[in-house]
Amino acid sequence: MDTVLGTVHALAWSVYAGGALTMEWVLRYAQRTMPPSQVGVVCKRSGQRYRWFGLVSLAVAGVTGLAMVLRIDDADLAGRTGHPELSLADPYGRTLLLLAVTWALLAAAVGSMAFWLHPAQAKRSPAGSTPEAVQRDRERVGRAIHRMDRVLKLELLLSIVALFLGASLHAGGVG
Amino acid sequence: MPDELIKWLHIFYGYFHDLAIAVYIGGAVAMEFVLGPAQNAIPPAQAQVMGQKTADRFLWLVWGSLTLIVVTGVLRLQRMGLIVGEWPPFKSPLEWSDSYGRTVIGLLVIWVVLLINGVLITFVLRPRLTGKMSAGTSASQVTARQGARLQAARWIMYLTRADLGLALVAALFGASLKWGGIL
Repeated sequence: MDTVLGTVHALAWSVYAGGALTMEWVLRYAQRTMPPSQVGVVCKRSGQRYRWFGLVSLAVAGVTGLAMVLRIDDADLAGRTGHPELSLADPYGRTLLLLAVTWALLAAAVGSMAFWLHPAQAKRSPAGSTPEAVQRDRERVGRAIHRMDRVLKLELLLSIVALFLGASLHAGGVG
Repeated sequence: MPDELIKWLHIFYGYFHDLAIAVYIGGAVAMEFVLGPAQNAIPPAQAQVMGQKTADRFLWLVWGSLTLIVVTGVLRLQRMGLIVGEWPPFKSPLEWSDSYGRTVIGLLVIWVVLLINGVLITFVLRPRLTGKMSAGTSASQVTARQGARLQAARWIMYLTRADLGLALVAALFGASLKWGGIL
């Protein structure tokens, strides 16, 4: 059971963090050589798919992580490096708390992208709109793209921090 | 070496090991299930350019990850006192008689297969896929070249999917080490 939980947890974080890094490092690079209209199509398609991968893997990482914490007992902790304790007085407990906060921030970032920023980018002016209304919609879409860009960078940073915090737990935590 | 430095080294080895695995698995999933389908939504000529660009970058990630995985893996085993600078170099439980040792050997075998597949994709199949035809090429040569390209693309797809499957097995093996191995 512990092995299955550990594997699913590691896979969920891998899909999430590795996917985020790949989308930034690979897709952005490929987009530079594409015409803007096709950049829009690729962004829309990949964003629609990736948001589900992101949301599901983050949810799985959260559920399995919680299950793993609930299964920790004193005998298990005593056998680990530095004999950590599941308390806020110990670096291990503080790192776990930090990891939970990072996870919550990531969930908020992915949720805002999936349900607010991505749909806002896809909005188009209805037929028969006045030039002023079209201009306003364009500005709104531009703002959504700008916000999305910033949230993506924050998400990438947070996922790297989360991986670091998770890895530090093997050595007793860093908090 | 001071205890605090040893602890930080342990954290950094673990961090880069986990990061490399995440990049390999997450990258393979994103390429297969996100970027691949998105590529089909644009015109074929542009899709080909996008495919080349994404594959060029992704191969850098793959090679970087494979290198980091083996280097940090060996450093972690050395730090745990399982690999030493004397004969025999492997200490218990890193032996064939122990489940831990068999699982680590299983991981090493998977890494070697991923390395071989990476070499095949980078140095054999991709050059066939991206090679340009010279002026004055006959129609039969063009047809033969297109056939070879299609075959290379098919093999790249098979090998990439096999790599993804192997990486998932490797994640299972790696996670099981905390509880003494699985083989």
